[in-house]
Amino acid sequence: MSPTPVLDLANLPDADVVALAQKGREAAYRELIRRYERPVFSLVFRMVRDRELSEDLTQDTFVKVLTHIDKYRSEFKFSSWLFKIANNVAIDHLRRRQLDTVSMEGSPHATTNDLAEATSFELAASNESPLQELEARELGSEIERAISQLRPEYRACILLRHVEDKSYEEIAATLDLPLGTVKTYIHRARHELRRLLEHVRDGGIGPLEEGEPA
Amino acid sequence: MQHRHLLPNEFDLLLDEESGFGVQPLRDHVRGCAQCSARLAESTALVASLDELPLMSPRMGMADRVMAQVPVFVPWHVSARDTATQWLPSSPAMRGMAAALIAVVGSVLTGLTLWIATRGDVLALFTGLVGEGVRNTVSQTAGDVIVALFGPQLAAAVQQVGPLGVALAAGGFLVASLATVFGLRLIATSSRARS
Repeated sequence: MSPTPVLDLANLPDADVVALAQKGREAAYRELIRRYERPVFSLVFRMVRDRELSEDLTQDTFVKVLTHIDKYRSEFKFSSWLFKIANNVAIDHLRRRQLDTVSMEGSPHATTNDLAEATSFELAASNESPLQELEARELGSEIERAISQLRPEYRACILLRHVEDKSYEEIAATLDLPLGTVKTYIHRARHELRRLLEHVRDGGIGPLEEGEPA
Repeated sequence: MQHRHLLPNEFDLLLDEESGFGVQPLRDHVRGCAQCSARLAESTALVASLDELPLMSPRMGMADRVMAQVPVFVPWHVSARDTATQWLPSSPAMRGMAAALIAVVGSVLTGLTLWIATRGDVLALFTGLVGEGVRNTVSQTAGDVIVALFGPQLAAAVQQVGPLGVALAAGGFLVASLATVFGLRLIATSSRARS
């Protein structure tokens, strides 16, 4: 007796691999992770801009998706479902971080000016920690910095459109937004990016240089 | 060619390389308008830069880390099919032979069953023979066990009193055992309470 023939998972479409995962094939789970670990990690990393955290959030995304793989409905694209969860995980984290942010002007419970000053933070405007510097190098180009300054919902739309190569309709399905809203967000994101990159254009450096009109 | 500059959403149509109705006049305008042409070039460069953003890689072993937290649920019918598949030969010829063998054995057994079912006297004789055989085997084994454990005298006594006597003796033994266990527990509980 010989073992059952091994399926060539790498050449199967997503829908078939998901169907196999729903039948409890561990190899299919791993194939889905292999296919999407880089796109999901890239999206999350560009959303939260912290490598270690992105590793954890990417892992959380896959755990959520694969634990509930039986609930996946095949009328949606698997990648849209996956990116929806990845985006939600990243946005949830950004919201939590926003809630956790302490006022820089001191504790709200401070009753005197001295107490408020004692509990206040100072911003080190251009002094990044070595880790932040490393991450900034990784997300190095001016365009990455500009993307990081977009509102999270604009950022998600522009990343799905240009990095993940999704259509407007897919982005709308992924982010649960009306198609018109997606178009508006992408338009505004591009406009904002052009504004943020004006200094690059004027200085004639960076990734925009090649496409500049003579 | 239109005589106004392009609106923001019209630039988006060109950037997304739309080809629908109304896009050609926009292209025609851009060709003849330095201002719109410059703005489109600027936006095209931005889009090209965005399109060139690389994918990033997480640390090695993401799949292992994820799978350590994901319970893989295998439905029973898949598990049963897998088990059956493992026993199937891989080559078509061997599979054919296995199928033929299963068919022959199945046919013989079915035929035999049908023949026995249609012959009531044979079925009664067969059932009686099997029942007699089972009873003899059980009583022989029980007798051997009693002789080995308690000696031939008790075995003779059991043979004399018959099954009812054996059942009464077993019941008495069970009651005595239970009474002993409860008695010991009672003593242990009361001694703990005193201490």
